[in-house]
Amino acid sequence: MKEIKVAVAGNPNSGKSTLINAIAGTNLKVGNWPGVTVEKKTATLRIDGLTINLVDLPGTYSLSPYTQEEIIARDFLVKEKPDLIIDVVDSTNLERNLYLTIQLLELDIPVVIALNIYDEAKKKGYEIDIEKLEKLLGVKVIPTVATKKEGVKELIEVIKNFAQDRNFIIPKKLNYGDVENSINSVESVLRSQYPDLLDKYPSRWLTLKLLENDEIVLRETGIKADENFLKEAKTHFEKSHQEDMESVLADIRYGIAHGVTKDVLKEREGKKTDLTEKIDRVVLNRYIGIPIFLFSMWFLFKIAFDFSTPFSDWLDSVISGPLTKWTTVLLNAAKSPEWFVSLVTEGVIAGVGAVLVFIPVIAVMMFLITLLEGSGYMARVAFIMDRLMHSIGLHGKSFIPLLLGFGCNVPSIYATRVLETERDRKLTAMLVPLMSCGARLPVYAIFIGAFFAKNAPTVLWSLYVLGIFMAILLGLVLKKTLFKGFAPVFIMELPPYRVPLIRDLLIHTWQKLRHFVIKAGTYIFAVSVIMWFMLNTPYGVEKENSALGRVGKAISPVFEPLGFGTWEASSSLLAGLIAKEVVVSTMAQIYVTDNGQEGNSEEKEGTKDFLEDLKDIAISFFNAVVDAFQNLLAGFGIKSLQVEEDEEMTPLKSKLQEIFTPLNAYAFLAFVLLYWPCVVVGISMKQEFGSWKIYGQAILIHSVMAWLVAFLIYQGGKILGF
Amino acid sequence: MKLSELKKGKKARITSINVKGSLKRRLMDMGVLPDEIVEVEKIAPLGDPIDIVVKGYHLSLRKSEAEQIEVEVLE
Repeated sequence: MKEIKVAVAGNPNSGKSTLINAIAGTNLKVGNWPGVTVEKKTATLRIDGLTINLVDLPGTYSLSPYTQEEIIARDFLVKEKPDLIIDVVDSTNLERNLYLTIQLLELDIPVVIALNIYDEAKKKGYEIDIEKLEKLLGVKVIPTVATKKEGVKELIEVIKNFAQDRNFIIPKKLNYGDVENSINSVESVLRSQYPDLLDKYPSRWLTLKLLENDEIVLRETGIKADENFLKEAKTHFEKSHQEDMESVLADIRYGIAHGVTKDVLKEREGKKTDLTEKIDRVVLNRYIGIPIFLFSMWFLFKIAFDFSTPFSDWLDSVISGPLTKWTTVLLNAAKSPEWFVSLVTEGVIAGVGAVLVFIPVIAVMMFLITLLEGSGYMARVAFIMDRLMHSIGLHGKSFIPLLLGFGCNVPSIYATRVLETERDRKLTAMLVPLMSCGARLPVYAIFIGAFFAKNAPTVLWSLYVLGIFMAILLGLVLKKTLFKGFAPVFIMELPPYRVPLIRDLLIHTWQKLRHFVIKAGTYIFAVSVIMWFMLNTPYGVEKENSALGRVGKAISPVFEPLGFGTWEASSSLLAGLIAKEVVVSTMAQIYVTDNGQEGNSEEKEGTKDFLEDLKDIAISFFNAVVDAFQNLLAGFGIKSLQVEEDEEMTPLKSKLQEIFTPLNAYAFLAFVLLYWPCVVVGISMKQEFGSWKIYGQAILIHSVMAWLVAFLIYQGGKILGF
Repeated sequence: MKLSELKKGKKARITSINVKGSLKRRLMDMGVLPDEIVEVEKIAPLGDPIDIVVKGYHLSLRKSEAEQIEVEVLE
């Protein structure tokens, strides 16, 4: 059986992912390139006895040694030596796309050009002479329209023909003019003095990289930039051109791209009115640009959370209601010991629930982010917000993950992937937990209800502002410390607006979701079970003597200067590491020891039989769908950010009033806002960045910051006489 | 004159790029090369970055980067 390794390269926004989806369909596997947060897609296709191993390279404009994506792409091409490259080229922007093609040809690997977005080019009145293009570059050219799957069959046909006869495509050595002499002299030195290097690297590519002073290649080969044979070849040249070799070569490549484009492209009269221009004239307008932007961000947020919350609530109610109830019934019938019933219902099922409630919000949010990216609006968001974001060391695109953080920090961490550099991704991820998420609301609600009922909106608002203020402060500090030394650049294409394919959006959303459930799910599940053991060992003791209570008691002196140095408060904060809303439920368990309430609700539900419960589940799902759509239409408020009074919490509220004063209550709220990002955020950080390091740093920085702020509030308040 | 000073809607020819290393290479990779014709299309609502048209597509860059690019205005 024959096998062939095919790499897919191309510029960003050339429709590369759509083409990959069209070729590979459900065979596509998504992962990360080792050690970095750059997506790697692979697929294995079996067609007529031929196995095609497809690898999607990151979208790049060039193969320079500077961006992570470029390094990954060229490392793969040079070291894994694919048999064939499919180069996805945007037909509406031929010259810039051919610049990459020319660099691919330096590798001496046969290239097939997928002349994508061909329909749009034709509409614009572009006529491309395909045969001439093939002849000039020594490639095969297939016009494609990935969104309509046009040209995919022909592309596979070319791969098949090439697998039959490797001489089907022979890459052409392009003439680099007067640099050729230098190339020849260096190449002959390499042949005589470094023959083993030529076994590893394509010789023309290696020569060009050495001439370009490519840091990575110099390091890998151990050849010094000032070695005589290189120096000679360069100096003579740089003198006559008064430019460094790297610029000279970039110029030559673009010169060829320009020449080829001029030779093969004819512009006829076509539809010149550019829709993108028209939209941008409004969307990026000096006066109405910002109001439109704010409106679309508000709407984005509303869909992301108000639409998904009813589904999360529904899942939550099914899991904590009927599922728990019937599991208990079954386990009791099997005469299981009480602790085991508790472990299964409060540990295992609650753990599964903790994973499941994230599914709606992550699904909706990933869909929206992909939509923003695919449509081209994400680049405009970056364009509008860059001024503000840049002042705290971030990139314009950081705005989206930060904004979405107010709903839930977990998908926000995933959303950092829209950023272009690892540095920007990590810095943004460090600031995301300071955006006060929805899970912190129940904590605010109960304390504000108990202590600040009169000034509720102001106090709530002050917490959000405190979070944003600390984010700005931390951004400024991190820019100068942990993230020093990187020069964040903003050189970004504003791509034409395009309508993304629903199929692509769904594929992407599904892949992210699957990833979350499998990878993050196991961790979250494990943490929930561990937490159950913390709360319940030794089984049956008072909460104060449980493992959690003991640890809480041991660390409580740390919180003494903040005004809440009790074992109850510190145990609740510890439990809140799972998710911040757990602070409230743990407090309720600890402070309000009356168990009658639970028994009551069980009795109420206990009268229903299994079928009735199933009916209820169906009805409540229907209601969730209705709610979701109603939320979208229900005015300007963001429903999932409203504080809801919970009557069941009245006993806890009066208990809190006995123990806390308004001053240490506020210090406690500030602490809850800022401390230790929850475990689920940590797991998503681990998943995105491949190690626990970022989460470790975040834990340390945020906890210290929370302690200092709460300290200042409490001690300052005392001095001021509150 | 500097690219950052170029008025909206005016076309200009790039004469030199006064940066080194990765930034220069990145600009050149994106088609910002000496002798290339550029036009400032838009300025972001908050005054920075700017949107230029080069080689028939839209590229946005910050003014701090545009300051390093020398151009001469075409009449």
